[in-house]
Amino acid sequence: MSMTVLTVDDSRTMREMLRLALADAGFRVVQAEDGIHGLEVLQAEAPQVIVTDINMPRMDGFGFIEEVRGDPKHRAIPILVLTTESDAEKKNRARMAGATGWIVKPFNPDKLVDAIRRVAA
Amino acid sequence: MDPLAAIRDTFFQECEEQLAELESGLLAMEGGDQDPETINAVFRAVHSIKGGAGAFQLESLIRFAHVFETALDEMRSGRLAASADVLKTMLRAADVLADLVSSARAGQEGGHPQQAALSDELKAMSGAAGADDDGGEEDWGDFEFQPMSAAVDLPADTPPARAFVVRFKPRADLYAKANEAALLLRELTRLGDSNVELDTSEVPLLTDIDPEAAYLTWTVTVSGDTDELAIREVFEFVDGDCELSVEAQGASEGAGETGLDIGALLARVQADAIPTIETAPDEPFELEAPAPPPVADLAPVAPPPLSVVSPAAEVHPEPLAANQARKTEAGATIRVDLDRVDRLIDLVGELVINQAVLAQRVMEAGLARASAVAMGLDELEQLTREIQDSVMAIRAQPVKSVFQRMPRLVREVAAMTGKPVRLVTEGEATEVDKTVIERLADPLTHMIRNAIDHGLESPEKRAAAGKPAEGVVKLAAMHRSGRIVIEVSDDGGGINRERVKGIAIEKGLIAADATLSDEEIDNLIFMPGFSTAAEVSDISGRGVGMDVVRRSIQALGGRINITSKPGKGSTFTMSLPLTLAVLDGMVVSVEGQTLVAPITAIIETLQPKAEDVHSLGGHARVISIRGGFVPLIDVGMALGYRATPLAASDGVALLIEGEGGARAALFVDAIQGQRQVVIKSLEANYRQVPGVAAATILGDGRVALILDIDTIVAVSRGEMRKAG
Repeated sequence: MSMTVLTVDDSRTMREMLRLALADAGFRVVQAEDGIHGLEVLQAEAPQVIVTDINMPRMDGFGFIEEVRGDPKHRAIPILVLTTESDAEKKNRARMAGATGWIVKPFNPDKLVDAIRRVAA
Repeated sequence: MDPLAAIRDTFFQECEEQLAELESGLLAMEGGDQDPETINAVFRAVHSIKGGAGAFQLESLIRFAHVFETALDEMRSGRLAASADVLKTMLRAADVLADLVSSARAGQEGGHPQQAALSDELKAMSGAAGADDDGGEEDWGDFEFQPMSAAVDLPADTPPARAFVVRFKPRADLYAKANEAALLLRELTRLGDSNVELDTSEVPLLTDIDPEAAYLTWTVTVSGDTDELAIREVFEFVDGDCELSVEAQGASEGAGETGLDIGALLARVQADAIPTIETAPDEPFELEAPAPPPVADLAPVAPPPLSVVSPAAEVHPEPLAANQARKTEAGATIRVDLDRVDRLIDLVGELVINQAVLAQRVMEAGLARASAVAMGLDELEQLTREIQDSVMAIRAQPVKSVFQRMPRLVREVAAMTGKPVRLVTEGEATEVDKTVIERLADPLTHMIRNAIDHGLESPEKRAAAGKPAEGVVKLAAMHRSGRIVIEVSDDGGGINRERVKGIAIEKGLIAADATLSDEEIDNLIFMPGFSTAAEVSDISGRGVGMDVVRRSIQALGGRINITSKPGKGSTFTMSLPLTLAVLDGMVVSVEGQTLVAPITAIIETLQPKAEDVHSLGGHARVISIRGGFVPLIDVGMALGYRATPLAASDGVALLIEGEGGARAALFVDAIQGQRQVVIKSLEANYRQVPGVAAATILGDGRVALILDIDTIVAVSRGEMRKAG
């Protein structure tokens, strides 16, 4: 059974890139368009890793991470933050919210897969 | 398609959406919108474009988007006020960004003439914070590691360390963020030969254990071909959530010291350690815990020692809810190949025709209207119509997509003419067929240019007329009796009828002594050849006159006209069909054949009197209509149904207006009536036939050809010239 990765990103381009990179690496990919959608998906799917963007409409990455960490059922899922922000303040906010790690966009597919394997067996 | 090329397409499609979002957001802010979500959406739009551009290495796009984003971020955080001037600059930046996207799409990455200047303006706005950052590479990793790398600087004469002693003590935060000590240790031990020592001295008695606390410390000696940077990188994500020290050892020390290898450690811990910790997060605690501590929410957390005991794959059980139905790709929309939709439309067209055939047969069979069959058929007809409407609606899109392109145009033309203009749009949600929308962009662009350039007066003239300096151009869409009506209006001076008439006379378009109504004069601007060199300015010029606009509207089965009030402004009104799959047709008979003429082209029908028709020699004839002559074209002869023309008094003339506004009269045997017909391509099913645009199937099952009026007129003109 391959590992399921949930990606949360409002950009269709990013979603397609993530799907391509992750499916190529043998992961099962489920996707959501923003934080709220991500939480909905979590009701139906049990991903082993979540990769999320920060800047999103309705519910941003910070809010999403906080919600996941606050939910006893999902709090142990590693969450990687995927963003172009170089801003240390943003990264810290994501970590305060409970992000497990981060990936800098534009991402290298191999590094993305490495990072995922790093936080989940 | 290559998957990357497909994603590239998606990226550019998405860029269009983001650019539209960006522009409408900035315009809303210019109009006083202070909703924080508006600026957030604007920021996200630029941010997304930058993100995608990064993936495709579109350097100038990345650079400009970055500077733009920085300025927007300043505005978002309230450090930069959204003043009118700032927003104007942002709007210009949005235009440049749109151009950069277009050039990137076309594979040209040359930058933009205004890019540097606007970048500077944006940087100046963002102030010192963003000014020195030119948006090149961004990499937290590098940023993080730079200070660390200094720590490994060793005196040059010291040989590189052969081993490192890593002391790693996670804090509870590390686990709370779903990091796993076991995974970190596993990665660390991959760097070289490792010895792992576990210090369990801080682990309290079972009854005192806080399942969310951290008690363990590891000391790992890594030897082999590695360096401190690689070791620090393993702990990159947990920096700050653990105590970590990395010390280099000389080549003589290191490997082979006391301590356990990780395998042995795992074995030992599994054998004798605290059993409760094997509880997997999603399983009920009681199942595996022989001595449940009082903490109820132990279960979901991976408690510190667990990360050693159990490989993470086991920590996470199989998806509990995996077979719950909801799949994640679900959204409010699906994307469907256009061909599939068109195939569906085609099939529904067939269904409509079949239904009509059936209805006619039932009527012919003389069944009572109240009979079960006739009533069932009525219901079928109702359903068929509904299906047809629903299917057509799939191809329908809001006119917003084309309306959205206009604000930029207005800004550009306003800047060129020096006339302040406000664009007002209404009815953006009005839907119409996708093809109609696509073909509307050019005529609308031209009309809006015209409205600003020729319609609106200069600010001075407006002031003199007591009007506000800012002119208003309004673009409105609405549904009216099964068609879409689009109006472009301005509050300018209206059409200068004296001047229009003068030009028309000068160009020989009308007789010098012609008596024309105001409406007729206004509509002279649609005559081919009306636009003159003297009128062609930089803006509305480009060699395109209103006749071209009218022709493109007619090509869509539409009509256009103008109404104008001196001093108050002009309004162009276009009426277009909602779909190109059906056509309003005039069904006529010619020599026993049934033909269909598009109603949009027909101005009037008349029964000619013998004395009104004059022969020009050969079979060429003209008909006199209210003092003017127009060619009378015998459709039967034009299509080869008959060799000699029908006598003038035996038929009906359809006065039509073809391409370029030329008038002609099509002479047919009789008119059967008006009907909406489903267009079937003749080319796709047979081959192209001159004079025939398409075909349709009528209710009685007969195939009827739809006339290509422009070709018939053009061919007949050529013959007439030969005859004359």
